[in-house]
Amino acid sequence: MSEEIIQIETPFQFSEENKREFDELIGRYPVKEAAMLPTLHLAQRQEGYITPAVMKYVAELLELSVMKVKDVVTFYPMFFEEPVGKYVIRICHTLPCALRDCKVVLDHLKEKLGTDVASETNLAKGTTDDGKFTLMKVECLASCDVAPVIMVNDDLYKNLTPEKVDEILEQLPN
Amino acid sequence: MVQEKRILYEHLDVPNINTFDVFRQHDGYTRFEKAIAEYQPEEIADMVKEAGLKGRGGAGFSTGEKWSFVPRDIEPRYLCCNADESEPGTFSNRYVLEKNPHLLIEGILICCYAMGIETTYIYIRGEFTLGKKMLDAAIKEAYEQGYLGENVRDTGLNINIYSHPGAGAYICGEETGLIESLEGKRGQPRNKPPFPAVQGVFMKPTVVQNVETLCNLPFIVGNGVEWYTQMGPTYGDARFDPPKADPNTGTKLYCISGDVNEPGVYELELGLTCTELIEVAGGLRGEEVKAVIPGGSSAPILTQYELDTRLDFTSLTLAKSMLGSGGIIVMNETRNIVDCLLNIMKFYAHESCGQCTPCRWGTPWVRDIVQRIADGEGRQTTITRPKFGITESGRWGDTGETEEIYEDLDLLENVANNIANVDTMTWNTICVFGIAVSWPAVSYMRKFRPEFEAAIRESKLVTLPVAEATVPPEENYAYQQRIIPKEMVDLE
Amino acid sequence: MAFIKLNDLEIEVEDGTNIVEAAREHDIEVPHYCYHPGLSRPANCRMCLVEPYGPIPGAPPGTIGPARQLATGCTLTVRSAPPERKLEEKFDAIIRTDSDRVIKAREDILEFLLVHHPLDCPVCDQAGECDLQDFSYRHGHDKSRYLEVKNVPPKKDLGPDVLLYSTRCIVCTRCIRFCDEVSGSGELGLINRGSHDEIDIPRSHEGTPIQLLDNKLAGNVVDICPVGALISKDFLFKSRPWFMEKANSICTGCSVGCNVTVEYKTDGLYRIKPRFHGDINQHWMCDDGRLGYHYVNSDDRLQLPQKRVEEELVTTQWADALTLISDNLSEVEADDIVVIGSAQGTNEDNYVLQQFAHDVLKTTQLGLFGQVPGEEHKFPQFTIEADKNPNTAGARTILGSANGNVVLEDDALWEKVAGAKVVYLVSGCPERPLKDTEKDALEKVEFLIVQDVLPSEVTQLADVVLPGTTFAEKDGTFTNSSGWVQRIRKAIDPPGEAQADWEITQQLAKRLGGEIDYHFAGEIAIAIAENVEGYGDATHQNIGDAGIKLT
Repeated sequence: MSEEIIQIETPFQFSEENKREFDELIGRYPVKEAAMLPTLHLAQRQEGYITPAVMKYVAELLELSVMKVKDVVTFYPMFFEEPVGKYVIRICHTLPCALRDCKVVLDHLKEKLGTDVASETNLAKGTTDDGKFTLMKVECLASCDVAPVIMVNDDLYKNLTPEKVDEILEQLPN
Repeated sequence: MVQEKRILYEHLDVPNINTFDVFRQHDGYTRFEKAIAEYQPEEIADMVKEAGLKGRGGAGFSTGEKWSFVPRDIEPRYLCCNADESEPGTFSNRYVLEKNPHLLIEGILICCYAMGIETTYIYIRGEFTLGKKMLDAAIKEAYEQGYLGENVRDTGLNINIYSHPGAGAYICGEETGLIESLEGKRGQPRNKPPFPAVQGVFMKPTVVQNVETLCNLPFIVGNGVEWYTQMGPTYGDARFDPPKADPNTGTKLYCISGDVNEPGVYELELGLTCTELIEVAGGLRGEEVKAVIPGGSSAPILTQYELDTRLDFTSLTLAKSMLGSGGIIVMNETRNIVDCLLNIMKFYAHESCGQCTPCRWGTPWVRDIVQRIADGEGRQTTITRPKFGITESGRWGDTGETEEIYEDLDLLENVANNIANVDTMTWNTICVFGIAVSWPAVSYMRKFRPEFEAAIRESKLVTLPVAEATVPPEENYAYQQRIIPKEMVDLE
Repeated sequence: MAFIKLNDLEIEVEDGTNIVEAAREHDIEVPHYCYHPGLSRPANCRMCLVEPYGPIPGAPPGTIGPARQLATGCTLTVRSAPPERKLEEKFDAIIRTDSDRVIKAREDILEFLLVHHPLDCPVCDQAGECDLQDFSYRHGHDKSRYLEVKNVPPKKDLGPDVLLYSTRCIVCTRCIRFCDEVSGSGELGLINRGSHDEIDIPRSHEGTPIQLLDNKLAGNVVDICPVGALISKDFLFKSRPWFMEKANSICTGCSVGCNVTVEYKTDGLYRIKPRFHGDINQHWMCDDGRLGYHYVNSDDRLQLPQKRVEEELVTTQWADALTLISDNLSEVEADDIVVIGSAQGTNEDNYVLQQFAHDVLKTTQLGLFGQVPGEEHKFPQFTIEADKNPNTAGARTILGSANGNVVLEDDALWEKVAGAKVVYLVSGCPERPLKDTEKDALEKVEFLIVQDVLPSEVTQLADVVLPGTTFAEKDGTFTNSSGWVQRIRKAIDPPGEAQADWEITQQLAKRLGGEIDYHFAGEIAIAIAENVEGYGDATHQNIGDAGIKLT
């Protein structure tokens, strides 16, 4: 016998605004599948992370099997399959940042937030207990001239020192 | 001192250059208008070829030649702009996108006109949220101003540009990986042939160009081929008799980071030396240059003895390295090369797409070996093998000589070379990611072997003084084989 | 045609042939994993690297040498080149599969493939038919240089019949491509990236499946898995491949007539695997057919004749059963007898049956019986037909082949049966539920002879039950829905005293003074070839393993 399949209690659906954006997106490509990444970004913005319901919904929209969506979601690190904090802090740790002491910033962040660094398959590990922050390491953010850098959600912060990190964290609204 | 020559970046810091009006005041879109008014599409393509423009994304392939492979009888054709800037050490496209996106749009318009393309996708890194915002706003303005959409400026051209966000995969910067990703799949590079020029996105002929390459087009059209070719050296390719012109024309957005006082993007004519560039970037931060990575993290490293190498496509290739994306990372005497290699190998192990066997399982293996060495657990064996000669007692017999074998260094080199062989430049992988892994692995190890040996011998990372850490030129495989190219003027 | 030099052979191949196939035709092994002739070619395993020759850049014209990069043999196709591009003035391509570079490349790739492989051949079902095992012996290193801890991805349950031992997987993606291209259902894909790549069905982050690998062609992924990663639950730990005998046969699950290999030991069938046929089933078969063999091994199989004694069926001896039948038959008018053949039976069974009816019983009232129609399933590259019998077309033609024979089916048949005194019904259908009309009609028959393989609703109504045989226990031919006549071969002995259906019919005929005297199925096929229109070439010898198509 094989396992039971998941029962999705509340199906996911795009909000009206996102549906409009999706309808505009889909017209850009000769095949629907090509809208995959932008559609997933849109869904993640709405839902916070990619749930099975989201995958099913996206698969239906793009006329694909669910696995094709899952396949893509697991390939790209920017898509989350677990809930993340309100602020996702991405810290670059590739060579140019490493040469500019990103480790000091990372250690400071870990201590300050009281959390470990998330791994791609275990985001909970890097999420603070209050669900405000998720700390994750990322590869080069293409800002090596202003290293070390972090991204807090969509915003890039440059030339960091522990003091600057403190300032940034403080000015973030709850 | 070499002076900056700002062309692409000339108006970068003009306030509000990201808006149509300000861009327009600084010659914006006039080059596109000139292209349409004065030239046939084929003439533009010829100009690009004559200008000797080489792709700025990494491979340095002649743009004009690339365009010539595109069959013009198959419709539709596509342009994919590669704005997935992810090579560690590279950050010049980001500024174009964030500050001067209209320049890119103008470049795209010229390319579309030259190639008869109606649809362009700009594949932009998912992390470039600001860049995408600015770009989208600029695209919107360009539509409003009639430079995009149906019947552009009453020329009968239909040109659409769409931005397409990536989602954090380095491999999507490889042109066929980008195409797969754009099609909504994993960014796994395709087998070549067929090349994208023939079968690219949606299996149609596709031109894939880097942001910087496209941004060069307005200036080639605007100021002419002659003006353009005066910048940068043109070498003679000695494989041909008489030598064929091998252009390294134009400027390059050199991204310099690491141990320099003023890291940043410097737009300079191609062909200055490594030492000169460090000087431009405010000089070295530290006492001595230990190593320089000349073209993004995939490029083979240069030692202090190789700093006279000119930073252009030809010179670096002949020096067994590459200009790549122009990301220069400088390391001073305090840096440990083993540690740097470990950082880079972690990057590649994380970013391997996992499609083909050698890369999927070879890359993490290389990382593991470097990790082992960095952790002080590298293996070393003293081999005693009979060596016959006159022994101390004056008789013929086994002299009892021993040999030190650093097994893990041999293994590292061997495994890396099995992914992609740096000596023969052959690889068993689908794409060039394989060589991007073995190039740093093998070059760091060979050029800074004493530091690797020290880490194994002492069972911990040891940072040796620069002179001791570096293999002397006479033992440096690349230094021994490097060829200093001669400029065309010299040959004439 | 392209004229190529492959190693030292100078051979002609069809335009568009790839090197792996061209080499295979000439018994040169180009090892490969991801390449499968029935699927697209991603060239991701990199195992089939070969060395193409061509002009050397910069050298004088006409000089040729090995190309800088090796090429994958699966994607490298050859075609006829214009004269100016011929190599050595006559070849369209020159390829080496045995050069030092190629041999080294294979060794290197194999080393990478085995880096994370658990080397658990002793407990792996695939051992003995594993490409990884075989190629490692032939082309690999003898020891591993990998010292670190191996990846140990979990074992996964993918669907009703398929297990995934992820540790053994080499991520060749054949299974994914099968589900995308052949079944079109797309349940399989990769998760994660790089060395953490795993094959999986879609699951929630916690691991609960969103969709199972439950399409009707799913079993094929087990066949095409080149290693022991995808395993059939049905076959799990049952037998080592080398202990089983094999017989080429035809699937009896529907009228497509998939070519199969029946694998068996003396105690029964162990598994059925598809066998390539370019015009019928390609490389595939459906799970209904694949897993539908269990009835052959059933303990309930009819092993002795049975007769009705005071409402109960009791076993009896052949002699007794035959006497009983001949007694009943001899007193009945020909018009009151209906002889019903089976679409599950072979052409040979049905030929002897119609001969018995026509020549001995002098009846022309024949019928055709078979499985209840099921659903048709269409896939992008495969169809499962609604007719669940392997030989409807053949039985229909052959039963009606003698002068004046009428083959009744469905309602007309049951109407006729209802008015008959004696009915001789050959069934051979495992689990055949009866519709009310069918049941009513059969109940009205005074003396019902049923020849079958398992107790069923049909045998329940019989006055005499004769134990027949399944496809695995006899030789013969089937004619599929598209007119292909194909052979089945005897794999195992029938259980108990069960006999091939034509043998039983022949014995009955002899009892009644008939002169039917065949010794083996092939002899009947010759008679069919002589007497049945369209079957002129359909002797066993002609049909062979490839089958022949009726014209």
